[in-house]
Formats: sequence, structure tokens, C-alpha cells
Amino acid sequence: MTAIARLLDDFGRRRRPLRSLGASGQLGYGIPTPALERGLSRAPDMIGVDMGSIDIGPAYLGSGKMAPTRVGAKRDLRKVLRAARRLDIPLIIGSAGSAGARPHLQQTLEILREIAHEDELGFRMAVVASDVPRGALRQAIAAGRVRPMDTMPPLTEADVDAAAHIVGQLGLEAFRRALEADVDVVVLGRACDTGIFASIPAMLGFPAGISMHMAKIIECASLCCVPGGRDSILGVLDDHGFELESMAPERRATPSSVAAHSLYEQADPYEVREPSGRANLRHVTYQAIDDRRTRVEGATFEPAERLSLKLEGASKLGYRALLIAGAADPHFIERHQAIFAAVSRVVRDLVCEDAVEDYRLGFRLYGVDGVRSWAEPPAHLPREAFVMGECIAPTPERAEEVIRTTKQYLLHHGYEGRLSTAGNLAFPFTPPEVMIGAAYRFNVFHVMDVDDMARLFPVEVETLS
Amino acid sequence: MRLHSMAKVIRSKNAGPCLLTLDIMLPDAATFAYVATRVGSLRRQVAERYRLSENQVIVLPYEPALAVKITLPRETMSGDVGDRDVYGAQQHAPLLDIDL
Repeated sequence: MTAIARLLDDFGRRRRPLRSLGASGQLGYGIPTPALERGLSRAPDMIGVDMGSIDIGPAYLGSGKMAPTRVGAKRDLRKVLRAARRLDIPLIIGSAGSAGARPHLQQTLEILREIAHEDELGFRMAVVASDVPRGALRQAIAAGRVRPMDTMPPLTEADVDAAAHIVGQLGLEAFRRALEADVDVVVLGRACDTGIFASIPAMLGFPAGISMHMAKIIECASLCCVPGGRDSILGVLDDHGFELESMAPERRATPSSVAAHSLYEQADPYEVREPSGRANLRHVTYQAIDDRRTRVEGATFEPAERLSLKLEGASKLGYRALLIAGAADPHFIERHQAIFAAVSRVVRDLVCEDAVEDYRLGFRLYGVDGVRSWAEPPAHLPREAFVMGECIAPTPERAEEVIRTTKQYLLHHGYEGRLSTAGNLAFPFTPPEVMIGAAYRFNVFHVMDVDDMARLFPVEVETLS
Repeated sequence: MRLHSMAKVIRSKNAGPCLLTLDIMLPDAATFAYVATRVGSLRRQVAERYRLSENQVIVLPYEPALAVKITLPRETMSGDVGDRDVYGAQQHAPLLDIDL
């Protein structure tokens, strides 16, 4: 009997609260063992982990690389896989390998297979890839069924062609189909983090609004506590609400800390969205059970008029090269804008003598305007500043050529009032030029209407023994 | 009263790659009420400091956490050419000395 079959069978005989263990909100960066073990001693019915987010930027989705190291991801996956098999409960993994595209999913599955082999674990695993078929997406664009999110322009076929990877944020419907394939372990590509913890409640008939609200909180592990942290959290769900308890004794889930979690990385703290609808949090109540546990009630589910999928895609911009240096000359710091502009022209005239201007060169002066573009210049200039030059060019060689030339001419640029005629820059080491490979941007952040999720995103089952 | 002298948390982060969301968390109901009744002035000052028009700035009091949430369009999309803060975690500084 598989883990999910055992759970359904148990609930079929006796309906009771469901105990979900949120083991990690960012798998691959370490799961504290004491809190995980404490969670396992509390007889959880399932373990869920989220591996991804869009907040880490476009490089991972574009390149197909994971954000944490493979070693870190394997260590954490081993912990949760062994735990789930030991207790014979379902393990649900969302947004595999950080960005959830096919290469991320494959790396995650490869690690899971390695662990199964090394630790002699046998289980059935359901996998749902979230890569959006390009043909279906082109048809949806033509049919007017794709809309931009927030400040994005409308999606074009050229964007689709340019994207290295395009994924859809699968919802609890996809997790549910995976679980219904009668398995022990579920792994999804890019997915709504709520689906990880709301899919089993949906199968068991718990109210959708409350389940989604709980899911949204425990997918971040103990982040909803004071002090917030990445220790495992236990969510106990019944038909009227849920109770939260961090598995780290020093972390307290209080009514205000839990309520405040709805603000985190969300534009609207009163709603949680999913492809099939949204949880409305307008009438939610937060009540202390004791000084470490809070009970939450009142979220309601509002089904969407039609199923829709949030799309994320990243396209390659070129290759990035950096110049890293410092400055302590007050004249240089004061005149940096004019100096950067002048050096950019010198560089262009040199590197474009026999080639077109096919690159972008920019500078930040940390200490002045590195972190944000301020409306006003600073009241006082800093004593020292960090200079970062950045070039993005069509090839790594071109980016390197531009940045190395920039280094030479920024170092020796003669500007008006210059006293330090031996050099403008302090290099912390040489070479001060760093080639960091391909650069990407998000070129897809849209919503697509979908009639049949199962056709676009089928479940694949694999047995490991 | 300056925001930094009233709030216990002032923070910023992305809400998706196109939006920035800023949270001002107040220590008690009275301070929350003080700020929540001044959202018009807050919105005007935020628009000015972030060089946006007022209708691009959403200010939403959130009583369950005694917080006021501000959501803005990002100047540059997260991680795009010229972006300076991919996570958007250091864009709160202009809020600190807003006077309400």
C-alpha cells in the first residue's frame, strides 16, 4: 500500500484533524535537524517542501541551474525523503530545483534516484513537469487567452521564441492528480506553493479556503513566528480552522506574527491566489492557544470563473562581464558621472573601430548610487566608494574585451582637476575583471487561460526499488 | 512624526518581478490608527520620493498585523539590465524619514 493510499484509508475509517509538516521553505539551504526530528515525533500525516520562487531572479530559470548547490540540495532531499519513508507518509516537493523547468526537475529527480539507490529506499513517485508547450502557448496568444501580469507588455510570439524556458505555476489540481496516481512521493516542476499543502486536504474534503490559507503559511516553515526562522512547522487542520506550532522551541507562532506573514512578498495581504481560485482572508481571526501556538479560522474560497495559469519565462540577454574596483579620491567620486560617460565613449571608439556597438556598458558607484536610483544627490559624498562596471555583450569574448578595455581607460582617465595621475582605481586583486557567464531577463510573466491542465501537464509515474 | 520613530519594522521586497511591496509595521493600535488615518499624506509623499504618480502607489492598511502596506511598480523589472536590487530588499530607505 502506498503512503497516500494508507492516509486515505485511515481517514476513510475515522475522520480526524490532518497534521502537515512544513519541513522547509527553501530546500537546499539546510533543514535544521532538531526541529525536523521534533516534527517527526509528532506523527505528521505528510511532509511538504518548497524548493523555489521567482524572487531569486531570471538567471536560474534561464540557465536551468539550481540556486543552491547540488550538495546542499541532496543533503536536504535525503533528510526529507528518509523521514517520509521512515514514517511511510507522503512527501510532496514543489518547484523542483528552484525554478521548476525541465532541467531543474531532472536534476531533482536524479538526486532523488541517487538517494534511493544509496540508502536502499523503495517508493512510487509521481512527477508533473510544468514546462508550457510552445505550440499551445502560441495558440493561446492568437486566441487572446494570454494576459500580462502587473506592468508587463502583452506577450508576443517573438517572446515565446526567445525564452530559454517557460513554465506555468501549477496549482493544487496538478498535485492532486499526482497523488491520485497512488504514490509515496510527488515532485512538481514550477508550482504554487499552496498546492503542496492544500492538495491532500482537498482530497479529504477539508474546506478549501482554510486549507489554502494554512498552506500559504506553512510552506515558509517557521517564517510566520517570532523570531522567524527556517525550522520545520506543524499545521493541524480541522473543518473549522488550523493550528500552527513551530518545531523549534524558541520560535513562537503568535496571532500577530502569523497575521503579519500575510504581508510577506504579497501585494495583497487579504488574498491567496491559485489557478482554480483564491482564498479570501478578509474575515480571518487569529487566536492564541498558548504562547507558542495560534489558531486561525475564517478564510473562504472563491473559485475562479476559469482555470488560468501564471507563466514565467526567461530569455538570454547575452554574456556578462564585471569590473571590480574601489576609489578614495574625492575628485573622482565627485565627478564620477562625467568620468564614466567619458570613459564609455573612449571604450566605444576603440572596441567599435572594426565592429558594431553590440554591447551595453554601465557603472554603479556603491556609496553613492549603487543600490537605488535616488531622486536627490547625497548630502555628503563618501570617503571611499566601490566601483562596479558591467558589460553585457552577445558573446563572452566580446564582454571580456569591452570590460578589459574599460578597466584600462577608467584607471588612466585624465579628468579636469585630477591630482592622482598614477591611477584612478584601487584593485582589490588582479585580474579585476570577472566573467560571469550568460545573463537573462524575465520576458514572460503572464496569465494564460487553460481548459485542460491534465492534457498540457500529464502525470508520469516512476517506481524506485 | 517620522516613520522610523514610529514603526517597529520598515521593509521592502518584490511582490513578483514587476512590483515592489513595502511594509510598515506599527507597535500598537494607537500608532497604527495614527498612520492609517494619514494614508493620503503617506501616499503623496511616497509617490514623490519614488518618482511615481499617486495613482501608481497603492497604500493598504492591514489591521490584523497593525501594518500599512505600500505597493509600487518597480523602476526596472527584477534582474533586468540596469536593475540594482534583484530581491527589492533595500528599497525602503526613502520611507524612513517620511513625516506624518
